[in-house]
Amino acid sequence: MDKQRDFVLRTIEERGVKFVRLWFTDVVGTLKSVALAPAEVEGAFTEGVGFDGSAIEGLTRFYEADVLAHPDPATFQILPWRGEVDPTARMFCDITTPDGQPAVADPRNVLKRSLAAASEAGFTFYIHPEIEFYLLKSSKLENGVPVPVDSAGFFDNVPGGTAHDFRRRSVRMLEDLGISVEFSHHEAGPGQNEIDLRYADALTMADNVMTFRTVVKEVAIEQGSYATFMPKPLAGHPGSGMHTHVSLFEGDTNAFYDTGGQYQLSQIGRQFIAGLLRHAPEITAVTNQFVNSYKRLWGGDEAPSYVTWGHNNRSSLVRVPLYKPNKGQSARVEYRGMDSAANPYLAFSLMLAAGLRGIQNGYELPAEAEGDIWSMTDTERRALGYDPLPASLDRALTVMEQSELVAETLGEQVFNYVLLNKRREWAQYRAQVTPFELASNLEML
Amino acid sequence: MARTSTPLTELARLGFADLGGSAERLAALPDAGERILPCFAEAADPDGALLCLLRLRERDPARVDAVLADRDAAARLIRLLGASEGLAAFLQRHPEELGPSLERAWLTPPDQPAFTASLSEAAAGRTGEDAWAPVRIRYRRELVRLTLWDLEAETPTAVLDRVAAALADLAGAALEVALQVARRGSRFPAAEVAQTRLAVIGMGKCGARELNYLSDVDVIFVGESAGSTDEKAKSPGISDERALEIGMRLAMDAMRAIHEAGAEPGLWEVDANLRPEGKAGALVRTLDSHVAYYERWAQGWEFQAQLKARPIAGDAALGAAYVERVGPMVWASSGRDGFVEQVQRMRERVTAHIPTGEVDAQLKLGPGGLRDVEFTIQLLQLVHGAHDASLRIRSTLGALTALADGGYVGREEAAEFAADSRLLRLLEHRVQLRRMRRTHLMPGEGDARRVLARAARIPGGAAGLTATWQRTRRQVRGLHERLFYRPLLSAVAALPDEGFALTSGQAEARLAAIGFADPAGALRHIAALTSGISRRASIQRTLLPVILQWLSEGADPDYGLLAFRRLSDDLGESHWFLRMLRDSSGAAQRLSSVLSSSRFVGVLFERIPEAAAWLGGDGELRPRALETLREESAATVSRYGDDVEGAALALRTSRRREVLRLALAAILGVIDVEELGRGLAAVTTALLQGVLALAHRDGDGIEFGIVAMGRYGGEELGFGSDADVVYVYRVAGAEPEDAVRTAERIVRELNRLTEDLRLPLELDIGLRPEGRNGAVVRSIDSYRAYYARWSLTWEAQALLRARGVAGDASVLREFERMADGIRYPRVLTDGDLREVRRIKARVEAERLPRGADPTRHLKLGRGSLSDVEWLVQLLQLRHGARVPGLRTTSTMQALAGAVAVELISPGDAARLRDAWVLASRARSGLTLWTVTTTDVLPVERRSLEGVARLLEYPPGGAAALEEDYLRTTRLARQVFERLFYGPPSGADAPGRRT
Repeated sequence: MDKQRDFVLRTIEERGVKFVRLWFTDVVGTLKSVALAPAEVEGAFTEGVGFDGSAIEGLTRFYEADVLAHPDPATFQILPWRGEVDPTARMFCDITTPDGQPAVADPRNVLKRSLAAASEAGFTFYIHPEIEFYLLKSSKLENGVPVPVDSAGFFDNVPGGTAHDFRRRSVRMLEDLGISVEFSHHEAGPGQNEIDLRYADALTMADNVMTFRTVVKEVAIEQGSYATFMPKPLAGHPGSGMHTHVSLFEGDTNAFYDTGGQYQLSQIGRQFIAGLLRHAPEITAVTNQFVNSYKRLWGGDEAPSYVTWGHNNRSSLVRVPLYKPNKGQSARVEYRGMDSAANPYLAFSLMLAAGLRGIQNGYELPAEAEGDIWSMTDTERRALGYDPLPASLDRALTVMEQSELVAETLGEQVFNYVLLNKRREWAQYRAQVTPFELASNLEML
Repeated sequence: MARTSTPLTELARLGFADLGGSAERLAALPDAGERILPCFAEAADPDGALLCLLRLRERDPARVDAVLADRDAAARLIRLLGASEGLAAFLQRHPEELGPSLERAWLTPPDQPAFTASLSEAAAGRTGEDAWAPVRIRYRRELVRLTLWDLEAETPTAVLDRVAAALADLAGAALEVALQVARRGSRFPAAEVAQTRLAVIGMGKCGARELNYLSDVDVIFVGESAGSTDEKAKSPGISDERALEIGMRLAMDAMRAIHEAGAEPGLWEVDANLRPEGKAGALVRTLDSHVAYYERWAQGWEFQAQLKARPIAGDAALGAAYVERVGPMVWASSGRDGFVEQVQRMRERVTAHIPTGEVDAQLKLGPGGLRDVEFTIQLLQLVHGAHDASLRIRSTLGALTALADGGYVGREEAAEFAADSRLLRLLEHRVQLRRMRRTHLMPGEGDARRVLARAARIPGGAAGLTATWQRTRRQVRGLHERLFYRPLLSAVAALPDEGFALTSGQAEARLAAIGFADPAGALRHIAALTSGISRRASIQRTLLPVILQWLSEGADPDYGLLAFRRLSDDLGESHWFLRMLRDSSGAAQRLSSVLSSSRFVGVLFERIPEAAAWLGGDGELRPRALETLREESAATVSRYGDDVEGAALALRTSRRREVLRLALAAILGVIDVEELGRGLAAVTTALLQGVLALAHRDGDGIEFGIVAMGRYGGEELGFGSDADVVYVYRVAGAEPEDAVRTAERIVRELNRLTEDLRLPLELDIGLRPEGRNGAVVRSIDSYRAYYARWSLTWEAQALLRARGVAGDASVLREFERMADGIRYPRVLTDGDLREVRRIKARVEAERLPRGADPTRHLKLGRGSLSDVEWLVQLLQLRHGARVPGLRTTSTMQALAGAVAVELISPGDAARLRDAWVLASRARSGLTLWTVTTTDVLPVERRSLEGVARLLEYPPGGAAALEEDYLRTTRLARQVFERLFYGPPSGADAPGRRT
């Protein structure tokens, strides 16, 4: 570690960094930041930075206000959008209580704990997300709806388009921050874009996703537009998902790969998928944590509403992508349920826990889904055993509440906090009278 | 033809075990081995030596016979073969080494340069891997000679330090030559290799020159360019980066030369993991980089390792510079944050991680093992070395001497423990020598132990060795107390038998290191306890060191010491107290443990110091039977006659005494939480019976009874619980108006006579009919009329735990019979059922204090006591009339009764029971820790830790307790919701809690 800390302190000197932002994430997945002067950084490494955690959602119990943030020097990066005037850097933090115990409600700690459990079973966990989002003209609504920057579609090349510049600039910035981008293109909805990050270990990737959201928002502001990760901002257009490709490695070997297996999928890979499927309804309240998330999940447009898996079946919840022969190392599984607004630390923890449970308990993988699940009748789906994902946040919470897997993985206090917080959101939502109701009921009744 | 002329008795006298077999084997030797036979007396294992000798002779008859022809050489060979099968195997591989290995013995072992010269000669003309085998063979030749020197010593413990030092020197020489060989074989340009400075720092046992025959050698590498220090100007040289690159290659090659597998096996593991950042760090660093690391990031543990650092090979000047610059930082470490925790962790390392089954055979780990010795001495060095440079000594025994010279420990103790430690080391050496394996285990009883006894020259064979070893272990076990704690007293009291005294600053540093938050205050208590010439002071002087150690293992050592001082002041010169402390270490340990973990107990002890006497065994800590308590109450009442106040005082005193007994029993794990509940209920009942006898005299014209309700009725009291009761009377001669007044007077008297400021007892009548508006006491007829008219479900529910406890038997019996009709209704209507559920839902919302966290409330919270009780009570109301097993006032018995008739599944019942037990234990633990009664699991870490320790979690268990509690109650709540409220009417049903 000390090499990295030395590097940080040296870089701060050499680059004349004026501010260092300590980043951490609350339980909902909002990025929080504490700014330090360069002179305070060394002390922050040794002792941590104390702050009042009571103001932060779910981070701490409200009566235990004092917590410490310990910056992780491996995450040090100069923020590119601040330019060379007053260079600013950031580091992600781990949160502890004053007696040095990891704060139970620090999402980063939840993920670290999950990864440690996986590592005890001999696995490391890699993730490669495809993050979708909308570029809007601004956050202001026109006629009650957001206005996208363009009206292009999937993979469209928009000449002179904002989106094009936007993606070029974002990718550049991400690369500057040490985040490798695999792929970027225009998505199906107007103003909708997708950027795929190159795979990394789960903790790094969760940090990267948090950084990614900030970068995208910063670039949008820079270019006079507005970016949103809201799961379903436009009723008639596809929502923004975060299809997440995951793989497990045992040492240097991809544990999902087996030349002889169906789709070259190993026994471990099959059990992992079986775990993901069996526990998918339980983890949905975290992978799809907003009322709005369920508008995407049940809004068609390839969003997976049923617990199924398939090979290249775009209506399945879990997909086993095709990979090139002799590329065993890239064997992976794609989870298509999650949306771009999830807290990546908690969501990755739960995906991992669900998959590992499948491996540990030797779950049987159900039959592969064939055909377009959306076009089947309810009875057909029932006959084939394709269970639906929860239809609303409330359903999802009811299912999650009974889940030992989720409680164990998140820890009792985060578990409880998520339930409380999300039930509150549901109650507030239910109190609304929506334009839909007014339009369909007011005059008729 | 074999000839067996040697009388078997002669063989037995020499120490052979397999007489027949050995006699036959001897016959195969020239002159039937007659000439060399006496030599076997000096072999630790004569039978083994003979076998090895014959095997060796088969391999190379000429050379062996040459040795056997020389009486002295033969004696040496047999001695060696008898002590070490491992070295015998070496000679078997290389018979040509027989001659040089068995040359005349040394007068003293050579120093490191001489070893280096010898090994270097073996490597002459060879480079790289070609040199490995010759160097290893030469190392082993020197090792054989050193072993022989060791084995020939009359008193092996006397030469032990020299042997250990020579082993370290030999290891240093091996590394030195390995490095030379690596330099010669390097693929880097020779000029650049020459420019690369590389020093090997020995750590651990090698650094301290107290190496074993076979152990890992811990090292750290320092490297830099020869041009990079003072010679910078005249030699531009290579860069430090290049030097590190080359240095790392050299270091790896040198390590491989020592331990990589080969035709001639490797010597030992070279372990470089003590370097900065451990395995993840660079193998070689520059001196500046080392210094920067320790200045900034090092953990206390790494500093402790630096105690032993010594340059052992490579560039001597660079090595010396390393020690000079890193060394001083070690001594600042005791002032660092977290030092106390690190000490505790060090201490755990001493006793932890011993594989089961090895505990009794360990020479190194465990109480009384070698690591125990090292821990104590290193801790003292770290605590005092900060201010006293004379303690900065690498070797364990050297440091011990310095501590004695500096007046930090007693001379006599120091000498004694040096001797004990040498004996343990000697046994370790001999055990390792046997097979040349890294082991710290005593061989099992029998032959192997007999051989070990002979090897270590301990008289009495296997039995003698076992006895000596056990005695030594016992002594060493007391070492920590005698070296660390006992001198603390010298800071504040003149110890007649000690020639030294710690300063108060030194003593405070020691107290702080073991977790006293206020060392100055602690020292004042120690002074008060040990000063003076009284018998008490003198006994406490003897005992306090170990008591301090026990106190320091509790959650609140400062309070424990204060409470102990008060107790000692109160008990003054009581013979039994002093005798108990002196003679029963179990009692003293228990006393220290309860005082440092419970203020509740500390406060009660102030009133009842004599209770300390109970700690001698479990007998006095068993709860006393209700019958016994009742008899005592009755005797008290009759003894005091008309002196009502005196009698009441005596009754209250008995109650305090019995509560203290239960508290001690609960803390020490003599009783579980259910026994505790019954015990506390019995104590309350005995008091009420006594007090009622005072208040309700014969001939007052009424019959009167006290009915226990709530947790008291269920015999589920905790410390600090209120006692729920209702009162009942029946006219027996008096006029009705007078009867009411008499009954009310009795109630007033009961309240007055039970009032105890020290240990409050609240007689709570909140569960009476009509609640707060109801009459304080009613006649049995009034109860009957009331219930006939208003039989509300919640009152039926309250009656489920009604149990007559004191007063006139007939009225109590009648009350209970009446209650049975109400609490076990033949039918519970749907309306009643709904009513119970509705009240519970309302209670959940209303009774929880404002702002309280429902997940942490032990009584009314999610899945805690009241959830379990309400569910069980609902089962009793619905099925009690039909199921006899449900007709009990005890929640847990009723739950078991419900399982028995399958009203509830065993799995569900277990979840409920777990939550009920854990919440009950946490509640009692909380009262014991803080004295005050609160119903909320603390969030403040210190209190949570205190409670966790009382619940038998290991140190640092606060978070685990919290997680366990939240999980257990959440699971119980799931069961509760399903069984009490029934399945939700729809998935979107409103108003469900979280």
